[in-house]
This record gives sequence, C-alpha cells and structure tokens, in this order.
Amino acid sequence: MSNRAELLDLAAGLFLLCAVAILWRRDVRAQTAWLSGQGIALAAIAAILGAQDARPDLYGVAAGVALLRAALLPTLVRRAIAARAEDRESAPLINVGASLLAAVALVLLAYTVAQPLVRLEDTPAARALPVGLSVVLIGLLILVTRRKALSQIVGFLLLDNGITAVAFLAAAGVPLLVEFGVSFDLLLAVLVLRVLTARMRNLFGGSDLDEMRELRD
Amino acid sequence: MSVNLPGTALAVAAGLSAGAAAAALCAPDRIRVRLVGTLSALLGAAGAVAGGAALAGHTYAARLPDLFALSGVTLQVDALSGVFLAIAGAVVSATSIYGIGYASGPGRGRWAQALWPLFAFSLLLVPAAGSVSTLLVAWELMALCSLLLVVSGDPASGRVREAGVWYAVMTHLGLVAILTGLLWLGAAAHTETFAGLRIAAAGISPAVRGGVFVLLLIGFGSKAGMAPLHAWLPRAHPEAPSPVSALMSAAMVNLGIYGLVRFGLDLMGAGSRWWWLTTMTLGALSAVYGIVQAAVANDLKRLLAYSTVENLGLVLVGVGAAGVFQDSGHPALAVLALAAALLHTAAHAAFKTVLFLGAGSVLHATGTRDLDELGGLRTRMPVTTGVFALGALGAAALPGGAAFPSEWLLLQSLIHGLAVPGTLVVVVLPVTVGAIALSAGLAVATFVKALGTGFLAKARSRAAEQAHEARGSMRTGMGLAAAACAALAVLPGAAGPALARATACAVPGGGPRVSAGVARQLTALGSTLWPLMLVAVTLGALVLLRAGLALVSRRAGQRATAPLWDCGAPPLTARMEYTATSFAEPLQRVFDDVLAPESDLDVTPHAESAYLVERIAYSRAVPDRVEHRLYNPVVHTVRRAGLAARALADGSVHRYLGYGFGSVVILLLVLAAAR
Amino acid sequence: MSAPVLVSLAQVLLVLLGAPLLVGAMRRLRARMEGRTGGGVLQPWRDLLKLLRKAPLHPQGTGAAFRFAPLLGVACSGVAAAAIPLLSTRTGLGAGADLIAVVALLTLATAALALAGLDTATAFGGMGASREMTITALAEPAVLTAVCALAAKVGSTNLPAIVAATLSHGARPASPANLLAAVALAVVVLAETGRLPVDNPSTHLELTMVHEAMVLEYSGPDLAMVELGAAMRLTVLLGLWSALFAPWGITTTADPARLLLGLAAFAGKTLLLGCLIAAGEVFMAKVRLFRVPELLAGSFLLAVLAVSASFFLA
Repeated sequence: MSNRAELLDLAAGLFLLCAVAILWRRDVRAQTAWLSGQGIALAAIAAILGAQDARPDLYGVAAGVALLRAALLPTLVRRAIAARAEDRESAPLINVGASLLAAVALVLLAYTVAQPLVRLEDTPAARALPVGLSVVLIGLLILVTRRKALSQIVGFLLLDNGITAVAFLAAAGVPLLVEFGVSFDLLLAVLVLRVLTARMRNLFGGSDLDEMRELRD
Repeated sequence: MSVNLPGTALAVAAGLSAGAAAAALCAPDRIRVRLVGTLSALLGAAGAVAGGAALAGHTYAARLPDLFALSGVTLQVDALSGVFLAIAGAVVSATSIYGIGYASGPGRGRWAQALWPLFAFSLLLVPAAGSVSTLLVAWELMALCSLLLVVSGDPASGRVREAGVWYAVMTHLGLVAILTGLLWLGAAAHTETFAGLRIAAAGISPAVRGGVFVLLLIGFGSKAGMAPLHAWLPRAHPEAPSPVSALMSAAMVNLGIYGLVRFGLDLMGAGSRWWWLTTMTLGALSAVYGIVQAAVANDLKRLLAYSTVENLGLVLVGVGAAGVFQDSGHPALAVLALAAALLHTAAHAAFKTVLFLGAGSVLHATGTRDLDELGGLRTRMPVTTGVFALGALGAAALPGGAAFPSEWLLLQSLIHGLAVPGTLVVVVLPVTVGAIALSAGLAVATFVKALGTGFLAKARSRAAEQAHEARGSMRTGMGLAAAACAALAVLPGAAGPALARATACAVPGGGPRVSAGVARQLTALGSTLWPLMLVAVTLGALVLLRAGLALVSRRAGQRATAPLWDCGAPPLTARMEYTATSFAEPLQRVFDDVLAPESDLDVTPHAESAYLVERIAYSRAVPDRVEHRLYNPVVHTVRRAGLAARALADGSVHRYLGYGFGSVVILLLVLAAAR
Repeated sequence: MSAPVLVSLAQVLLVLLGAPLLVGAMRRLRARMEGRTGGGVLQPWRDLLKLLRKAPLHPQGTGAAFRFAPLLGVACSGVAAAAIPLLSTRTGLGAGADLIAVVALLTLATAALALAGLDTATAFGGMGASREMTITALAEPAVLTAVCALAAKVGSTNLPAIVAATLSHGARPASPANLLAAVALAVVVLAETGRLPVDNPSTHLELTMVHEAMVLEYSGPDLAMVELGAAMRLTVLLGLWSALFAPWGITTTADPARLLLGLAAFAGKTLLLGCLIAAGEVFMAKVRLFRVPELLAGSFLLAVLAVSASFFLA
C-alpha cells in the first residue's frame, strides 16, 4: 500500500473519530473544538487527494476548507456560547449512551450500504466512502436528538462535513467554484441560525427547540 | 455377538428407571427415599456410561418394532447424542444423590418420587432417539414428567400453580411447533428415521426446509430458553424443588440445543445463511437480556434461571456461528464454533448443577431465596459456600471457572470468523463479540452479587442467622458436581477427542475436510490449556507470596481483631449493609430503558407534623418486560377470543352433535374438491 | 532456566519494583502542577515498607475472601506482567500469553476485591464493590471488541504474536483501526485503573469514592498488598497499551543488550503515559457515576469502528 493511501486512511480515521467525539461530549464548547479538528482532517483529505491526482486546484479547496471549517465556523459557534453560558450543555433527547449505540448501528449500516460503490471502483478513496456516509448519518442523528439550537448548528455542520467528504471521496472533489458556493451557503446558514438563536433567547429566554412548539398556538 | 456398550447401558438405565419408579410406589417409607435416590443415581451413571462410550467412538442403532404400536421405537446413539447423554447422566447422578438428603427426597409424595426416575430416563431417551416418532414420544414424556415435578413442590401455593400453567402452556406450544415441523419434514422426505432423513433432506425444496427450520427454532428454542420464548424459565425454575430445577436447568434445556444441532446442522445439512444468522442474533439477544435480568434479580433461584437464559444464549451463538461458517464453506471454523457451543453446554451443566443445588441447600437451611434476607452463611454453611463459590467462578467465566475455556473458544471462533468474506459477517460478528463481552462482564457483577450478598458479610435476617450446613448426601451431590466443574476448568483439553467426534457428526462434509477441521480444533483446544496454565501460575505465585509475607511481618499468624469503621457511631448492624437490591441499583439505572423497573417510595409522615417523617418504605420490582409487552397482549387476545367463542356453546347437545356432523361433511367436501 | 522464562521473571520484577515508583512520579508531578511540593518519587515505597512492618489486623466479622483478595490482586497483576511482552516478545508463557486471558485475569482480581468489600458488611465496602463491578461490567464490551480489532488482522489473540506482527510491519501503528482501538482502550485503561474521570484515586469522600471505598477496611500489610496490586495493575495496563500501540523498543529476541534497550524504552514510555495521565488529572473533574456508562459506550463505539475500519480502510 502506498504512503499516500495510508495517509488518506489516517485522515479518514481522524475524521470519523472527531464525529464520534462530537456525539460523545455534551459540552458544546468541546464539540466545537472537535469540529475544528474535523475541519482539519477534511482539509487533509482534500490535500491528499490533490497530491494523488496532481490537481493543484484541490490545494486551494483544502486551504478554503481549513479556513472556513476549522477556524471560522467553530469560532462563530463558540462566540454564540460565550454570549450565554447556560447553553453549554447540549441537552440530548435520548441519553448519550443510547445515541452512541445507535451510532454503532448507523456506521455498520453506512458500511453495508456503501459496499456496492466500493466494489465499483476499488481505490483507497472509494474504500473510505463509508466514513463520509457515517458522518452524514451521525450528523443527522445529532440534529434529531439534541434539544438546544446551538447543538443543532453543530449537527448541521457535521452533516455538511460528511457530505463534503463524500463528494471528495466519491468524485475526487467538486469544482472549486461549486465548493466555494456551498461553503458560502453554509456560512450564511450558520449566521442565520445564530440570529435565530439570539431571537429565540430574547423571546423564550432559552434556546430549547421544543419551546418552538408554542409558536403553533 | 459382542456386547454393545451404549446399548447395554441404555437397557440397564431403562431397567433401573422402572425399578426406581416401582420402589417409589411400593417400598416401605423407611428405606424408600434412600432406595429411589440410589437407584436413580445408578440410572444416571448408566446414562453417563452410555454417553461416554458413544463419545469414545462406539455407536448403537436398534429398532424395537413391537415396543410401540404403529411406529415402534428406533434408537440410535452417536457421538453427538453421546455429549447430551453424558451430561444428562452425570447431572442425574449428582442431583439424585443430593435428593436423598433434600427434605423427603425429590418431591414430597410417592408419586412425585416415582416421576423422578421417569423424568431422568426421558432425558436419556431424547438424545438416544433415532426416529421422529421416538423423539416426539420421549419429548412429550419429558415435558409431562417435568411439569408434574414442577408443581410437586407445593401444589397449594398460588405461585407454583401459576408457574405450572405457564410452563404447561409454553412447553406444549413448543411441542406443537416441533411436531408440525417434524411431520412436515417427514412428509416431504417420505421417511421418519434419522438415517433416512439425512439422505432425503438434500432433495427437499429450500422453502420447505426453511419453514421446518423456523418451526424447529421456535420449538427447540423455547425449550432452550431463547428470548423472547424464555418466559417459562424464570417462573418454573424458582418454584420447582431445587433438585428438579437443577435437572431442568442443567440437563433438560440442553436438549433444545440438541434438537437444533441434530436437525438443523446434521439432518438438514446447514441449510441457508439466514437460519443461522437468526439463531445467532436471537442467541446474543438472549445472552444480554438474560444476564441483565439476572443482574437485578433478588430471588436467588430466579437469578440462576435468568443466568440459564444467558448461557444457553451463548450456546445458541456458537451453534449459529457454526451454521454460518458451514454455509460459507469454512468447515474448520464451523467445527471450532460448534465445539465451543458443546463445551459450553457441558460447562453450564456442571456449574448450574452446583449453583442450583447450593441454592437448594440455602433454601433448605433458611427457608428463603431472597438475597436481601440472606448473608453471613459462610460461617454456618462453609461447605455450601465453598461449593457455591466454585460454581459462581464458573458462571462468571473467569479464569479457573468452568465456563472460561468454552467462552474463550467461542470468542476465538468468532474472531477467526472475521476472515470469512461477506459484509453481513463483518457487521454481525463484532456486535456479537460485544454482546458476549457485555454478558460476560455482567455475569461477573451478577455472581459477585450472589456470592457476596448471599453468603459473605453479616446475616440480614434471623433465618440466615440460624442456618445449618447441608446434610451428608446433599454435600456429596454438590461435591460431585463441583468436581466436574473443576475438571472442566483445569482440563478442557481432555474433552478434545470426544468433542472432535461429536462435531464430526453434526458438520457434514467429506472425510479430509472434517478431519482438517478437527485437527485445527484440537490445536485450538490445546492452546486453551495455555491460558489455564496462567491460572496455575497465579495460584503458585499466591502461595509463594503468602509464605513471603509471613516471613516479612512477624506476627502474621495471630491477628488482633479490630472493630470496623463505623463513622464513630456504633454499633454497625446488619441493616446498614449493602443489600442485593442496593448492589444492583447502579446497573438497574444504567439499563433503565431495557428493564423498565417499577419502584415505589412510600413516605409516611408523623401524625403531628407533615414535615417529620415516621417511616419510608421503598420497594422495587423488575418484571420481565418481554412478558409484559409481548405475552400479556397475546394472552388477552386469546382470552377475548375464548369469551367470544362461548357464544357457540349454549349447552344444547343437538348443537354440539351438529358441529361434529358439519365438520365431517365439510372435510369430505374439501377432499372431494381437492381430488 | 530458559531465556524466555528469565525474560518473564525480569518483567515481573521490573513491574513489582517499578510500579510504586511510577505512582510516586505521577503524584509528584500532580503535586508540582497544583503548586504543592509533593512527597517525592520514593514515597510510595516508603509507605509500603512502613505498612508491611505493622501488625496485621483482623477486622471484625471478615472472612477468607477479605484476607485473600489483596494477594490475588498482586498475583494476577504479576502473572499479567509475565505474559505481556513488555521488554521482549519472547516471554516465558508462550502461547499462554493470551490477550483475552490477561484481561480475564485482571477482571478476576477486581472481582475478588469486590467480594472482599462486600465481605466487610459495611455500607462503604458494598458501595465501592457495587460501583466497581458496574464499571468493570460495562468496560468489558469495549475491551473485547478492541481485542477483536487487533486480533483480526493477525489472526490470533496471542499477545507476542500481535506485538511481533506490528513490529515486523515496520511499526506502523498509525492505521485508522489502530488509532480508534487505541482511543477505545485508553478510556478502558483509565476506567480499569480507577483514574480520573472515572474515579479519583486521591479522594476519600464517601459520595464519590469507588476503589477507595471498597478497600476502606484494609490496614497494615494487607493494605500494602492492595496498594501494590493497584500500582502494578496501572503499570501493567499502561505497559499493555504501549506494547499494543507503540511497540518501539520491544525486542523479538532475548539478547541482553537489546533487553536493556527495551527496559529503557519501557521505562520511558510508561513514565510518559503516567505523566500524561497525571497532568490531565490536574485539569479534569470526575464525571458523575451515571455518566460513566456514556464514556464506556463511546469507547465501545470506537472499538466497533476499529473493527469495521480494519475492513474498509485496510
């Protein structure tokens, strides 16, 4: 096995590890730190793929990804926490132990589902595909099971990281322009969510999404 | 003609069974218990000899056409039957000797005592059966005898009666499933002897074989306590007299495994992968569910019953893994997994006999099975405590215990199984390993609780304070089973050749393939011995350390007694001890979502002021959730259907005759239309 | 006596003598970082010798389980030290140096100590035993699944075989499967040795202590054995972790010069890991007992991921 493939595997492993850690920790501040780590792993995946296919544009994407996902977005979330300390705990709907066990099932599911794709093209990148898929599923799990708006943002970012990873691994990266377009959408979404969170706080005095039910009446 | 050892031994066992039953009915009271016990123990020994001979390579096949109308009796004994014969025989021997001292023998009255040898013989007859009809007759005999023995404990007690009803219904539904499955198989194969089925099975369509397997899995699985069909076990075992529980839990439930291995692996030739993945999944589920329930159980015998669910679940995992490996063309791995399953069956039989007999001695001495009221038995019942500790070590699957080699072998087969290609295997095996590990870890906690709160520490009730050591014959019975435990823990390699023969019966395939598998299994078993060497070294190091310590500290011999730390507020009473309930509380909280326990806190305020508390009562019950969620709705539906059907019966004789007449006519019409 | 047996004996002696020093160094570092002077690296040894000289006591109403548990603890750790390739893969137990067996032996020691805690018939003993057994039971799936991940590639659960295989592949423990398994086992090691965030080794507060509650009635030489057993357990588990994931310096021969090199590497690695733990403990709080299952469930998840990763990222 080549050195590059090994590095790719390692980056994919780290990428997955960060997702698990985000699911594992209750503290949103710690979650953002792991989110930064995941951004770096994602940038590494992009850079390694760039080196492998000799595509310099992927280096640019990698730099962009690192800047946005490892630095900018986690900082924005962290700022939001700093504004109000009591939102630090992510208040899961089902207990963390159970959601971790659910994650076991999801990862195994992702692995099973991705098998035909892997068989189609047996490259190191394709073999790492289940990792991206798993992160997408874990991100969705966080979106579904966490109560606070801030952890929703974290779940959303995780989901997007997963989608980006799948795009890199399956299609050896998307064009630079598309990637930046998506990234700016993401930035916008996070900003909107932040504003929403702030408004919710003003209205309800907390960011528990279950309280949004009151808007129905 | 030379003497056939298994056949002769079985004939002797049949004679002893009849003799013991007759003695129970006719012998004078003075010698009755002793006579029946001795004859039953000899019966067990004969069974063990038959099994041992079969394991040593002797086979036996006979057809006795005149014994039974229509079908006759067909017997066949090979090494696979031998495993179950030997286990059943050994358990019968130990429990029969124990039974001599237990109250007035196994069961109270003469009838109960006459049933004991019949039940014991039926346990030998099931694995020795050589045709579907013989197996079904033996199975029904076993079910009826065990049912009557369960209710023989205390027929007036409501709980015993309830347990009897549950057991009767479930065991007969299981019988219906087995009966339907085997008749279907026999009809499709046009034969009913095992030898004929083995040849004909390959020609049967996969759909029929799958259907038969599902029915057999339900029937045999329910006998083996497979979740969710385990509900009878934790009810029947605690209420039966202890020797009966031991015999049921250590010998009878195994026959469910025998049925699955015999029909699924041997006669129907492994079939499809989904059969065995289902078996494995249900086995892993039973293992975890059983031990979680055992961990929070307070009733010692209920705890042991749930531990049976766990261990038989592990055996099912082994059998399922063997089927999966066989199906994917890895007979060597299949042999390894099946050997682990059979070895675990034997280990479970050994330690569960010890534990149930130990629990029986405790019940006999104190009159209670509630761990919260026991404790401090180690000074009053040293032999029982020592024997129970050996059994608990086995049940916890720690090094030095009977179940360690078999669980180790099971894990080995699963870990090696990861080399088998296939997505499903990669997904299923790690989760199964996790489930086995969780059940092993919880088993340690469970048996630390059983031993620590039941036998160590201070007595928690007057009954426990006044306990007395078990009688001589009871101690002998427990001692025999404990010796078997120790032998299995220290010398599992000795079982190697026997297991090789037994697995060769069940894993079909050509000669060289099987022998390669056996060779591999033997090396694996040989290396099991190595971890056990660790145990020996541990014990040696222990002795050395002890000697060294005596040298270092000069007064090691005479220790001054010091009071316990009581936070400066003496005296410490037994009420301040941690009970079994409190010991299991953290685990109960962790598995809250699985167990859904019902706890009740009752605070009684003082008469004068609502702020002064006079009394607080806390009670906790952990009902079987499967029973709650799955069985109760079914029972309610059946009851409602029954009530609705009452409208059909209005008491008119003419109407009843009309029903009969109508059915005959409809049947004839159907026959005419089908022609 | 053959060379492998000598290697094993050397390992046992090394762990026996070195374990209290490791604990001393960790306590010293922690004290320094918290702005205290601390007791010096040799302090645990001084304590042990002092305790050994005291008269042994028999706490009222205790029995054989209480008496023998500390010895069993030391013996089990000692056998584990003989089995694990700490210095060389040629240990004297050969095929017996099985990863599952070593884990089971250490569990046996825990179970014995829990029985001893229950045997005292005090609320503290029972409380500690109950908590310790809960943690041990829940750690088991993570351990064995991680073992599964490590053994699947080598095709054996034999420890020297696993370590030798890692060494012969040019010591590349940085595969994703190894990475995930390493994190999973690290959590388990913290739980099994009673370190933060699972248990605080330096607390005697009723509500929080786990291990200390269990051994509260021990005194004199018995307490010395308990402490020695705990220190050896820590050393052995750190040694096991480093042998599996950072096997640098372990030789595959029994050559004395290389063994000395291995010794230096072992001392360095264990000390480094111990110091990392001690430094981490300064900044970390104990988690609530009922959040420990979350920690261990996460560890189990990582172990399962390690098994799957060894297939899809191999």
